[in-house]
Amino acid sequence: MSDDIDLDDAPDMAAAELALGILDGDERAVALRRVLAEPGFAQQVERWRQYLAQLFDLWPAMTAPAGVLERVEWTIDGPAAMDVPTPPNRRFFWPAVAGISSVAAAALLLFIVMRPIEYAPHAARPSAAPTMTIVEAPSAMLVASITPVDKGAPVTAVYDPASGSLRLTAATLADANRSAELWVIGGDGVPHSLGMLRPTGASSLAVNQANRARLAAGVTLAVSLEPIGGSPTGLPTGPVVATGALSQV
Amino acid sequence: MTDFPQATLQQASDARLKLVEALVRTGHEDRTAFRDLYALTSAKLFGICYRICGERQAAEDVLHDVYLTIWKRAGAYEPHRASPITWLATIARNRAIDWRRAQAVRRSTPIEDALPILDGAPLASETMVADEEAHRLHGCLDGLEDRQRGAIHTAFFDGVTYAELAERESVPLGTMKSWVRRGLAKLRECLER
Repeated sequence: MSDDIDLDDAPDMAAAELALGILDGDERAVALRRVLAEPGFAQQVERWRQYLAQLFDLWPAMTAPAGVLERVEWTIDGPAAMDVPTPPNRRFFWPAVAGISSVAAAALLLFIVMRPIEYAPHAARPSAAPTMTIVEAPSAMLVASITPVDKGAPVTAVYDPASGSLRLTAATLADANRSAELWVIGGDGVPHSLGMLRPTGASSLAVNQANRARLAAGVTLAVSLEPIGGSPTGLPTGPVVATGALSQV
Repeated sequence: MTDFPQATLQQASDARLKLVEALVRTGHEDRTAFRDLYALTSAKLFGICYRICGERQAAEDVLHDVYLTIWKRAGAYEPHRASPITWLATIARNRAIDWRRAQAVRRSTPIEDALPILDGAPLASETMVADEEAHRLHGCLDGLEDRQRGAIHTAFFDGVTYAELAERESVPLGTMKSWVRRGLAKLRECLER
């Protein structure tokens, strides 16, 4: 029976391990970076998430404590509604902590995304991120997985509202005769151009003021195929080949 | 194909439809739909938070955060890509794991009063759109060695890391990684057959 420590012979199961949530520290950071850098890897993680999700069927339900829904609604309705008498314990402590930790998570992702692609095995140090970056980390990093309409690898987009920069992983959506143009489709349903994707490699776009206001969680990003150099009309003229919704990290 | 009682399947599919509707309407900021969604799913999601967090207050706080996230993100839910309960449960599990990872203290033993994980696949799956697919993972897991299956099971339901797993089982870290990786590889082989 194959036993133990011959770890070197063990297969690379990083996608499954990430989906399972068993990794921590550097191993987790490296796997997260692969999600952004390798479309095939991201797909594998997604497939594993779907496989493992079947285990949720076995999870026993447990009646939730009273009052949670009310607290959620207070939080949704904003500070005015928070004037509702607050019990003198740590009721509102966790939301604050959660805010901080998702900022830390966003900071970590930012750290991962913005680093150059080549890396040493121990380069990513997530444990150092939280305490150092909480203060200036942007609180609303947005990500989208822009999925091709036909088969193909999704493009990951990461938007940093603080700098107005939008970074996208390599896309192979266009051919030699056409350019891939990225659009944001806001609440009004009208597409606004965010710029052209590079034919090879990752793209980095500076988002103008008008479009910055349009980039928010839930908003759709779409890629259309246009004449080389971009749509001549300011609206998509070719087929939409990929779409995805922005969500908060 | 598997022979399930038709009534059970019909019920499961009605429940799923109701959930999809509540979730999609929540995505349009419909507060009544959000309350329905909470009524339909909070027990399942609290079960997840409680088992992984291991303490009631933390689980309650994480549950608050989970529903806030659901309210904000429901607009991005795509019914053709995932069943609603999978989408919701994944948010709950990930949030609870984030909370665990943020704690400095490791819990090397499972919590005592957690409800037991159900034994065997249910008749009708909440998580799979096609019920006949739902038994594949369970069947494939049954084909693993006990220690491989046990480790994967614990990682999923208790949200623990390799280090915590190795400590619980009193084996070296490398041994635990080897068990889990081989188990996952075997699982993949079975699932993709």
